[in-house]
Amino acid sequence: MPTLVMPRRYGAVNWRGLWTLCLKDLHRARKSFRYSVLGPVVSNLLFLAVFAVARGGAGSYVGDLTFLQFLVPGLVIFAVCECAYSTSSESLLFDKMEGMIADTLMAPLTPLELTVGYACSSAAMGLITGAAVAFPMLFIVDLPIASLPSILFFATGGALMHGLLGIIVGLWAERWDHHAAALTFIVIPFGFLSGTFYSVASLPALAERVARLNPVFYVIDGFRAGSTGHADGSAITGAVVVTLVVLSLAVCAHRLFRIGYKLKP
Amino acid sequence: MSVIPATDRPTPQVRRFGAVNWIGLWTLYYREVRRFVKVATQTVLAPLVTTLLYLAIFVLAIGNPAHKIGDVPFQAFLAPGLIMMAMVQNAFANTSSSIMISKIQGNIVDTLMPPLSPGELTCGFALGGMTRGLAVGFVMWGAMTLLVPVGVHDFLFVLFHAVAASLMLSLLGIIGGVWSEKFDHLAAVTNFIITPFAFLSGTFYSISGLPPFWYGVAQLNPFFYMIDGFRYGFTGHADGSLAAGLIVLTTVDVLLWALAYTMFARGYRLKA
Repeated sequence: MPTLVMPRRYGAVNWRGLWTLCLKDLHRARKSFRYSVLGPVVSNLLFLAVFAVARGGAGSYVGDLTFLQFLVPGLVIFAVCECAYSTSSESLLFDKMEGMIADTLMAPLTPLELTVGYACSSAAMGLITGAAVAFPMLFIVDLPIASLPSILFFATGGALMHGLLGIIVGLWAERWDHHAAALTFIVIPFGFLSGTFYSVASLPALAERVARLNPVFYVIDGFRAGSTGHADGSAITGAVVVTLVVLSLAVCAHRLFRIGYKLKP
Repeated sequence: MSVIPATDRPTPQVRRFGAVNWIGLWTLYYREVRRFVKVATQTVLAPLVTTLLYLAIFVLAIGNPAHKIGDVPFQAFLAPGLIMMAMVQNAFANTSSSIMISKIQGNIVDTLMPPLSPGELTCGFALGGMTRGLAVGFVMWGAMTLLVPVGVHDFLFVLFHAVAASLMLSLLGIIGGVWSEKFDHLAAVTNFIITPFAFLSGTFYSISGLPPFWYGVAQLNPFFYMIDGFRYGFTGHADGSLAAGLIVLTTVDVLLWALAYTMFARGYRLKA
């Protein structure tokens, strides 16, 4: 009498699958460590050096912070965001281009597990890179910690926001051009123009209003406030905006996985 | 079954080229140019957006409109540096990515098999990269003139430095592309050599504001001379010696050309 092979049962969540998916992307990032982590460390130190020299001695205060104290949190949080975006979008696009995406789609993972797995691993990579970027800067610039919970909240929020955006771009993109275009025309301008390098309070009135419509502004501003105590916007508004944007991007990414957008025929 | 006697067949002759295989050289150059023109969004428009972002950031972060370097307003000081930086990064990207991708995908044989001498290979790749650098520079210049008052003080200086700098980075791109075995290696060259040299060369600040030691170090950087001379061509303001710049750039170009030529001639990391 042959024994019947029963389908394997999972509980509500396939924990092992989810964990494996996360590890897969972290391992991939570890293999390109020099490129994905050390690259941002060097380029951000360069930004710091260039701004320190270009800004010179005179008038280098923003509010009651020195310009460098103002700048470093902006550089760190932007490194977090950019790395989170690149990790998920490059991972998905690479797998799609090489035809390996089937290995992820065949595994018993629900759309929700896929969304969470990709979002968490890319956010984790973003935070690791951010820590690596911040570390040498702490020796150069004296940085206070005004509120650790805000630092963690806005760093994680920014990382998740960009990780989820990376999922959406990774699913939508069909070629490397598309990925690069989204980075050059969306992620970098949104980050750079919303207060990474300067206080939006110094912008002309109209430009300032536009900057305040940008969710990335709240990520950067909230993170900077957590570190230095200098805020251009309200922390409560920031927390609400960041949470809402993360949730809506998560819903969008989940839906794309569910309908198999550009993934399944 | 009749066999044509061998003697009746015309013997194929070896094709003769003159001193230079002009058709081959032109084809290689034309391919290199077509490569970047086909994806102009990525190779011309993207650098333009990035450069304008840098302009906006520096002008906003440095703030004070009265901020002057020598007697040049900060924006007019910054613009030529940014144009030059975009030019050299793109000249480097063109040759290095072309050779790297061909090596990874294996179609580098299509470039090595044709009857092109090492000199022709060097020339074709280098001029292709130089063309991209100059094209990007020209577009930047057009965009910058709309935003910042960019006058021309001495056009010959602008032209010489644009050509010499694009050529230099285009040659460096050949060397980097041939040397690299993985994209990681190439990314390391870009991140740890090209970007630091370009950023720390006085693009964004006047090196005369540096402490004496770093002022000396900055003058050892060939990138400094190309930005300084190029900026002199626009603004009439130079931080270093212009004559030294002409000599340094010419010497570095000749040396890099010789190195790239030697790599192709020996088939370094290209032929077994």
